[in-house]
Amino acid sequence: MAILALKSRPTEITPDADKSGPIELVRYVCAIGAMQSAAAIPRVVPITHCGPGCADKQYMNLAFYNGFQGSGYGGGPVVPSTNASQREVIFGGADRLRELIESSQTVLDADLFVVLTGCIPDLVGDDVGSVVRDFQKKGVPIVYAETGGFRGNNFTGHEAVTRAIIEQYLGPWDGVREQGLVNLWSLLPYQNTFWRGDLEEIKRLLESIGLKVNVLFGPDSAGLSEWRDIPRAQFNLVLSPWLGLATAKLLEERYDQPFLHLPVLPIGARQSGEFLRQVAAFAGLPAEPVEQVIVREETRYYNYIDGFTDFYSEYWWGLPARFAVIGDSAYNLALTKFLVTQLGLIPAKQIVTEDPPVEHRDSIREQFRAIDHDVSVEIDFIEDSYLIHDAIRKADFGHKPPIIFGTTWERDLVKEMKGSLIEVGFPASYEVVLSRSYVGYRGALSLLERIYSTVVSHSA
Amino acid sequence: MTLNLKTSTVETREQRLGTIIGWDGTASKLADESAFSRGDCGGCGSKARRICELEGPFTQGSVCSEQMVECQAGNIRDAVLIQHSPIGCGAGQVIYNSIYRNGLAMRGLPVQNIRFISTNLRERDMVYGGVDKLAVAIRAAFERHQPNAVFIATSCASGIIGDDVESVARALEAEFGVPVIPLHCEGFKSKHWSTGFDATQHGILRQIVRKNPEKRQDDLINVINLWGTDVFTPMLAELGLRVNYVVDMSTVEQLAQMSEARATVSFCYTLGTYLATALEQDFGVEQIKAPQPYGFPGTDAWLRELARVTGREAQAENYIAREHARVKPLLDELRPKLKGLKGYVATGSAYSHGLIGVLREIGVEVDGSLVFHHDPVYDSEDPRQDSLGHLVENYGDVRHFTVGNRQQYQFYNLLQRVKPDFIIIRHNGLAPLAARLGIPAIPLGDEHHALGYQGMVNLGESILAALQHRKFHQDIARRVSLPYKQSWLAQTDPFALSRAAVA
Repeated sequence: MAILALKSRPTEITPDADKSGPIELVRYVCAIGAMQSAAAIPRVVPITHCGPGCADKQYMNLAFYNGFQGSGYGGGPVVPSTNASQREVIFGGADRLRELIESSQTVLDADLFVVLTGCIPDLVGDDVGSVVRDFQKKGVPIVYAETGGFRGNNFTGHEAVTRAIIEQYLGPWDGVREQGLVNLWSLLPYQNTFWRGDLEEIKRLLESIGLKVNVLFGPDSAGLSEWRDIPRAQFNLVLSPWLGLATAKLLEERYDQPFLHLPVLPIGARQSGEFLRQVAAFAGLPAEPVEQVIVREETRYYNYIDGFTDFYSEYWWGLPARFAVIGDSAYNLALTKFLVTQLGLIPAKQIVTEDPPVEHRDSIREQFRAIDHDVSVEIDFIEDSYLIHDAIRKADFGHKPPIIFGTTWERDLVKEMKGSLIEVGFPASYEVVLSRSYVGYRGALSLLERIYSTVVSHSA
Repeated sequence: MTLNLKTSTVETREQRLGTIIGWDGTASKLADESAFSRGDCGGCGSKARRICELEGPFTQGSVCSEQMVECQAGNIRDAVLIQHSPIGCGAGQVIYNSIYRNGLAMRGLPVQNIRFISTNLRERDMVYGGVDKLAVAIRAAFERHQPNAVFIATSCASGIIGDDVESVARALEAEFGVPVIPLHCEGFKSKHWSTGFDATQHGILRQIVRKNPEKRQDDLINVINLWGTDVFTPMLAELGLRVNYVVDMSTVEQLAQMSEARATVSFCYTLGTYLATALEQDFGVEQIKAPQPYGFPGTDAWLRELARVTGREAQAENYIAREHARVKPLLDELRPKLKGLKGYVATGSAYSHGLIGVLREIGVEVDGSLVFHHDPVYDSEDPRQDSLGHLVENYGDVRHFTVGNRQQYQFYNLLQRVKPDFIIIRHNGLAPLAARLGIPAIPLGDEHHALGYQGMVNLGESILAALQHRKFHQDIARRVSLPYKQSWLAQTDPFALSRAAVA
């Protein structure tokens, strides 16, 4: 049976049942959750064309009950929504959307609006593109992305929003590249509970070796001026196993802009030093000043590690030896790398949960296989928490209580296993996170504090 | 009006009750326009209970019926909720897990994760249908958790593609011998989320409540509530009555035995109206028709009606007298500390009617309130439940009484009009704005906090604590920029856009 697709699709849809099974206790949300990616850009306001509950669901769960991050200037309860009703389902919602966009300009003070669609307009076939183009022609700063929940998750939604801004807001460009300016594509805002502090630390590291950074999302971004500056950058830095690669490739095609892909977010001195050297080499920076920066950072870092050594070497009551990580590939890989190479912990189970696109899975597997010269890890890709918990129960944690790096979903499991839990990913409903970071030199120290305070406070 | 339990889909609030989500005026005017007193406003045509509603072009994200199904059917301890939807509807699992866990802890019940399974509908399913995935998910629910009931929450997507949820549910119910209950709660179908309460209660009434109870439990009272602390057990024990808490955190058996109880009460008629009325209509379990139990007059009348129905008048009078004597001196101490303060209530509809009364009891001025919808009548259609009328009659008018489905952009203008010292809220999204204006909020996560005689004392204490928070809010207020245009912030009429649309 042939299906006539209204729009081009990456793959043919066939009647065969797909392999995606049911998901108990979610670890990501749907594509329209990327409304918070738009809201993560200072003074950008998403406009949602969807049912009445969609916007509330996405932000309350991504931004509130996940580290209580707050929903940002234009995110959360600020977000306009058509709150599509029976009328929009039966008669179409294009007029309603037009009315909402018009009135949004009256009420809201935004530098850019990003229209995101939900299941309803994507199913009934509203021509959202034509509605938005009318406003674009009138000079209204507005773009749109199709993010119906059945089309993908908030990771792919994030790529769709990014692509929309690049394609619809950034014009053609033929200026002169600025050497030393880099666009950073890394963690998924809000989904990653610690994204703000982490982006701040990564930016700090890059600036320390003399680069200028378009961080693009979060409090350290200058907002849309950075986005307009994207084509001017010397290169794109994709700092994650796969998220951001599609954007970097788009920019390569569009602006002939090179990119550097580093799958491992650096945690701790070893990774951070390697990270700085790799970026410096790609950027063509002289080695000597970079080495000086590394020495300075390491002096501070190892001073604290020296103090920690007293505890780590002779704490009486035992510390965990084996660990599991349940989470998005970016943090999973970064944490596993740090815990194995710097602390000497033994990986018992690593489960990647964000449903990475199939084409990226082999390269993610390879990264884990090469975690250290003497340690290789075979990972699982699982999204259903029931199956995840089953796999954790069956893992070999040896004779000591395990330490699990996971989410709120693991609270009962860890009690049952008499282990320790560090909530490091969505959802982290029992963490309050402001600027805390777990990456770089400084984040690594916070991470050590968090891990061992948790373990020690359990002991009596 | 008879509630129709024969069809699997609940009638929406707007169909049954004439519910509105946009209105602005005095409380007394709204009470007048509501069916309890008059019938219709005279300008909207012949259909009874029609109140003229304000509708504007600008709307911010609201809440949907499916979310209310999640927070009710999804919080039954030995059931599983299937969300037949793309993964995004499953986002709600996070909040309702957190609330459930904290609720269980507060009630002294074993803390556990919620049990929700998303069918994870994808693009292919939009074309070929998702019923196979639904069946897989229901089977997974049985194999994994051996539940005593399985609920299915539908979604906008499953509704539009027209999945035959009923047939799958029937087949698997027959196979497993355990109720499999479709709850039709597509977000687009009702303009107000409270229809989701009704959808859950409708499914429970149809497929869980024992149809022909063999026994009566004459001392058992169904208490329709959420996750609040257990204040009803000691209160009803004074009358020799036992509590059957429903729906949140109950078991399937607690739901099944509702038909055996003597009567049904609720902390909020917005939440309980459908279930309580249907229990009376179909099973003869009397619904207590009285004002809600807030403040002295409300609590007195509520207790007396409960006592009359259950034949415990003497015990009730004794309890009322003792509580008056105990609480009055405490309030006398509180009132001077609260004197001169102005409060603002922004909560669900009937709940707000109760809270305003409590504030006025303890001497706090209230000249504004925002309710998230308004039901011109409750399902009982009994004027003794006219909670808004009760408020106006006992405590006087409220000058700025607003109906709006939680629109933050209007909340700024509403607060400017009233300039309160603090706000009382229950739903998310409004307090953060108030905070940035220097106004602290009292979030009533525990919905029983202000209930009954002790509730007046509790709320007074909470206000005094919240006022100290002002230091934080006033500090932040100087440092934030709001996402609203100056021209809108200067607008004195929160409904200016709606009125312009009509004009």
